[in-house]
Amino acid sequence: MGKTITLSRATGVSSLPAPVRRVMSIGLKNVVVPLLGIVLFLGAWSLAARNIDTSLGQFPGPATVAQQFVSLYDEHRAEREKAEAFYERQEQRNAERVAQDPSYEPKIRDYTGKETFFDQVRTSLITVMCGFLLAALVAIPFGIAIGLSETLYTAVNPVIQVLKPISPLAWLPLVTMVVSALYVSEDPLVPKSFLNSMITVTLCCLWPMLINTAVGVASISQDLVNVSRVLSLPPLTHVRRIVLPAAVPAIFTGMRLSIGIAWMVLIAAEMLAQNPGLGKFVWDEFQNGSSESLGRILTAAIVIGFIGFLLDRGMLTLQRFVSWDRNSATR
Amino acid sequence: MNNPTPDRDVARDVILDISHIDVVFPTPKGSFQALADVDLQIRQGEFISIIGHSGCGKSTVLNAVAGLTETARGGVILNGREVDRPGPERAMVFQNHSLLPWLTAFENVALAVRQVFGKTKSKAKQKEWIEHNLRLVHMDHAMHKRPDEISGGMKQRVGIARALAMQPDILLLDEPFGALDALTRSSLQDSLMEIKAELDNTVIMVTHDVDEAVLLSDRIVMMTNGPAATVGEILDVPLPHPRERMALVEDPTYVHCRSEVLRFLYEKQRKVEAIGRHNGKSAARAGDDAKVA
Amino acid sequence: MEAIRNGFMAVVLAITTTMTVGSGSARAESLGWPEKEELTFGFIKLTDMAPIAIAYEKGYFEDEGLYVTIEAQANWKVLLDGVIDGRLDGAHMLAGQPLAATIGFGTEAHIITPFSMDLNGNGITVSNAVWDAMKPHVPKRADGKPEHPISAAALKPVVEQYRAEGKPFNMGMVFPVSTHNYELRYWLAAGGIHPGYYAPHKGDISGQLQAEALLSVTPPPQMPATLEAGTIYGYCVGEPWNQQAVFKGIGVPVITDYEIWKNNPEKVFGITAEFAEKYPNTTLRLTRALIRAAMWLDENDNANRPEAVQILSQSQYVGADAEVIANSMTGTFEYEKGDRREVPDFNVFFRYFATYPYYSDAVWYLTQMRRWGQIDEDRPDSWYREVAEKVYRPDLYAAAAKSLVDEGLADAADFPEFGTEDGYREPQSEFIDGVTYDGTQPNAYIDSFPIGLKTGDRL
Repeated sequence: MGKTITLSRATGVSSLPAPVRRVMSIGLKNVVVPLLGIVLFLGAWSLAARNIDTSLGQFPGPATVAQQFVSLYDEHRAEREKAEAFYERQEQRNAERVAQDPSYEPKIRDYTGKETFFDQVRTSLITVMCGFLLAALVAIPFGIAIGLSETLYTAVNPVIQVLKPISPLAWLPLVTMVVSALYVSEDPLVPKSFLNSMITVTLCCLWPMLINTAVGVASISQDLVNVSRVLSLPPLTHVRRIVLPAAVPAIFTGMRLSIGIAWMVLIAAEMLAQNPGLGKFVWDEFQNGSSESLGRILTAAIVIGFIGFLLDRGMLTLQRFVSWDRNSATR
Repeated sequence: MNNPTPDRDVARDVILDISHIDVVFPTPKGSFQALADVDLQIRQGEFISIIGHSGCGKSTVLNAVAGLTETARGGVILNGREVDRPGPERAMVFQNHSLLPWLTAFENVALAVRQVFGKTKSKAKQKEWIEHNLRLVHMDHAMHKRPDEISGGMKQRVGIARALAMQPDILLLDEPFGALDALTRSSLQDSLMEIKAELDNTVIMVTHDVDEAVLLSDRIVMMTNGPAATVGEILDVPLPHPRERMALVEDPTYVHCRSEVLRFLYEKQRKVEAIGRHNGKSAARAGDDAKVA
Repeated sequence: MEAIRNGFMAVVLAITTTMTVGSGSARAESLGWPEKEELTFGFIKLTDMAPIAIAYEKGYFEDEGLYVTIEAQANWKVLLDGVIDGRLDGAHMLAGQPLAATIGFGTEAHIITPFSMDLNGNGITVSNAVWDAMKPHVPKRADGKPEHPISAAALKPVVEQYRAEGKPFNMGMVFPVSTHNYELRYWLAAGGIHPGYYAPHKGDISGQLQAEALLSVTPPPQMPATLEAGTIYGYCVGEPWNQQAVFKGIGVPVITDYEIWKNNPEKVFGITAEFAEKYPNTTLRLTRALIRAAMWLDENDNANRPEAVQILSQSQYVGADAEVIANSMTGTFEYEKGDRREVPDFNVFFRYFATYPYYSDAVWYLTQMRRWGQIDEDRPDSWYREVAEKVYRPDLYAAAAKSLVDEGLADAADFPEFGTEDGYREPQSEFIDGVTYDGTQPNAYIDSFPIGLKTGDRL
C-alpha cells in the first residue's frame, strides 16, 4: 500500500489522489469534450453562414444571433417601460372618469402593446404546459381503464390506432371551427387562439400517453396482481396502490415522448394559425422581411431548441424523482 | 393416508379441508386437467409440505387454496366455511418475493397491515405491529430500504414478514426459497422454524427440495405426475420440534423419511427428465409430456 | 445596429412624453362614453396601415378611452373572416372587401366603412428578366432613363413571347377584390393585355377566363419571395413590398398606382354594420382617433413622416427595414436601382380629403367588379348608388370630424363642406388611359372601356 503511494507521488497528474484523478477525467469527458463539440459547431456555422447570401442579406452567424438576442432583450425592456406608462395613464384616466361619471366602475385593462419575444416564449410555454396537463388528465385515467379491461382495450384499440398517426396539424382547422362554434362568451376567460393551440397540443400528447399508460398497466406483473388479490384490496385502492405506481415508468415514457412532439407541433401550429407564441414570432419575422429578420428567426429557432431540451430534461428529472424504476429513466 | 395419525395431533381440529378438488385449465388445444380429486385435511398448527416433480401441479394446489385459481369440482373449506376468492386469512409468500418495488420493506408490510387491521388497530399499534413482524424475520435493520436495495434472501424475509403480519389462519408458501443459494436458503429455513415455534402457525409449503421438506414438515404430501395429478402418498415426519439441522443429518428417522420421499419420487413416480430448477423450458416439456401421456 | 436601437429608444421616449401630456378625457362626456372600450384591430403588413399604428402610438385611441390591441393578420381572407366572426372589432381593409362582402361576392356580411385610410400607395413590379425584355419597348428620356408612366403596351410583346413559348404569364395580386387586382387589370387592359374575366355564376372565381396574363392571389408580404421563386413574373402590391424588390435586387417597379389613376382611393377601415349600431359612441370615437392620426401623418407637409417610418419599421407593425419604408413614405420612389424619383403624393393619408368615404369611390370599385365579371350581370345605376350608401358612411365620418372641429382639434377647412356635398367627387379624368370617370353614371363608364364586359354582356 505504502509503496503504491510513493509510486504515484512520483509524477504530475498521477500524484493526485485517485478520486481526484477520477473526477478530473470525468470532468474532461463531460465538460471539455462537449465544449469542443460546441466550438467546432460554432466554427462550422459561422463559416457556412458567411457563404450563404439570401435576398435578406447574409445568413446569420453566431455573432448576429447573439446580437439579436441582446436587442430582443432590449426591446422587451423598452416594452415593459411602455407598459408601465400605459398603466399609469390608464389609472389617471380612470380617476378622471370616475370624477365625472361616478357610476363608472374603473377597470384596469391589460397592456395592449406588442408581445415581445420573451412574452411569446412565455405564451408558448404556458400553452404547451396546459395542453400537456389536459392530455395527462384525460389520457392517464383512460389509459388505466383500457389497460385494466381487455374488452375495453379490444374495443378502443382500432380507433386509437387510426387516430394516433393523424398529424395534430390536420386537426387544427377542425379545432378552430369547433372552438369558434362552441366557445362563445362576451368576456372570455382565455382567448380562443390560446384554446386552439392548447387543444392541438392536447391532441398530440394524448396518444403516446394513452398507449403507454395502457401498455404499462396491462403489462403489470401477475405476481403483484396476486399480492393485491390476496390482500383483497378494493378496486380503487388496487388502482391507486398497485396499478398506478407499477405503470409510472411507462406513463413517464409516454409523457416524455409527448412533450417532445407537443413542443414541435405547437410551434408549427402557432405559425399556421397565427396564434400567439414563438411560432407566430417566427412567422411575423419572416413576413417582415427586414435585414434583421433572419437573425431573429434563427435566434428564435435556437431558443426553441433550448426550451425543447429543457422540457425533456425537466421531464426526465421529474421521472427520476417520481419513478421507482431507475432503469427506465436513464437517457 | 395409510399412515396412522400421531397421538399428539389427535386433539387438534381440522382447520383446512381441501375437499376432492379438480382444476381444469383452458388451453388453445382444449382443456387441460391439472388436478384430479385432490383431497387433503390440515390441522391447526401443522406444517405441511407438498412435493412432486416439476409441472405436477403442486403450486396449483396452493393457488386453489389461496383462491387465486378456481376449482372445477370440489372446494376448499377453511374453518368450516367454503372459500372461493383470495383473502388475507390465507396469506401467501410468493416464489419471487413479489414485493412492490416502489415501496420500502416497511411500507410493503404496512400495505398489508393497513388493509387487514386498518379498522381495528390504531396507527401507533399498526406501526408497532409492522416493526414486530420485520423484527421476527430479522429485517428490522433494513426496513426502510427498497426491494432493489436488498438481497434476494432479505426480500424473501420481507415477503414472509408481510404474510405473517396479516395474522393469517394459514400461511401458504410457494417454493419460497427456490430461487436462493444454498446458504441463504438454510438461514431462511432456520428463521422459518423459529417463527413456527414462536407463533405455531398452520403452514402449507410447496417445495421440490427433499431435505427442506423433511426438515420443516410434520407431514409431506407427495403428488403424482400430471396430468390429472393427485395426492400420491402422505408421509408423517415424526421428528420432535425444535429440530436441529446438524443433529438430524445422522438421525435414522430423518434418513428414513428422506429415503421414503426419494423412493416415491424416483421409483414410483419416475420421470424421464432430471429434476431440476423450475425453469420455463423444463416446465414446458413436462407439460408436453403430460399431454402426450 | 446601435443607431437603430438609439432611434428606437428615441421614438419610445418621444411617444411616452406626448402621451402623458395630452389627455382627451376632459372633453369626453359631451360625446358619450364608449360602449366598448377594449378593441382589437387587424391589419396586413403594409405601410398604408399607418393611421392605425399612429393612432395607437400617439395615444389618440387612449384619448378616446379606447384600449386597442393591434394584430397583424396572415392574409386578407383571414382578416375579413376575423371581422365577420367578431375576433376583430375592425380592420385595415381593401376598399373592395366591404363592398364585395355586402353584395355577397365571397363571404357575405354587412360591413361598413366610416373612414378611408389613404390615397395611392401601390405599385406594379416585374421581375428583372421581364424588365430586361420590356426595356427596349419603353420610351427614353433625354438622360437615358425610362419615360414614366410606363404603359403596359411595353409589356405586351413580352407577354406575347411567353405565350408563344407556351409559358403562362403569371402575375400576383393580393386579393380578388383588392385595389391591386383592379389597378393591375386597369393597367394591363390599358396597354392591350387581357387580364381575364370572373364568372361566379358558373363557379369560376379564378378570374382567368380569356386571360392573356394570369392573375392569382399571393399575400403581400410573400410577394417578393414568390417573385424570386419564379412562380410569378410580376405583381401589384402596396408598400413596402415594391421597394423591397428593389432592395433585394429581384425586381423592378414599373409604375405606381398614382400614375395609373392620380389620387386613387385605397384602403378603408372596415367594421361590421352590427358593431356600428351596437356601439355608436365607440364607432364615433375610433373614427375621431383615425382622423387625428391621418392628420398627424400629413401634417406640415409630411414633416412627421420620418417618425412614422421609425414606428412602422417596428416588428409588430410593418417590420421591414426603415430605409425600405422610408423610400415611399417620405415622397420618393425608387424604380430601377438608382432611379429614384420624387413622388410627393405617393402616400397620401389626409390631404385632398383622402379619408372621407366618398360614395363615388365605392361606385368605382363596383364598376370594376362589373367590368371583370365579379358582378355577373347588369345592374341599374341606382343599384350602384344604393350599395355605395349601404357600405360607405360619410355621415359617421362627418359627425366625428365636426366634433373634432368643435373641440379645436381640427380645422374645418381640411374637410369637405359636409352641408353641401353629396358624396360624389367631380368627374375624374386623370387615368393612364384618359377615360373620364363620373360616379353618377356607372353603366356609361363601364361601356367606355375597349377591354372588359359591357352593358348586356354575360359570360
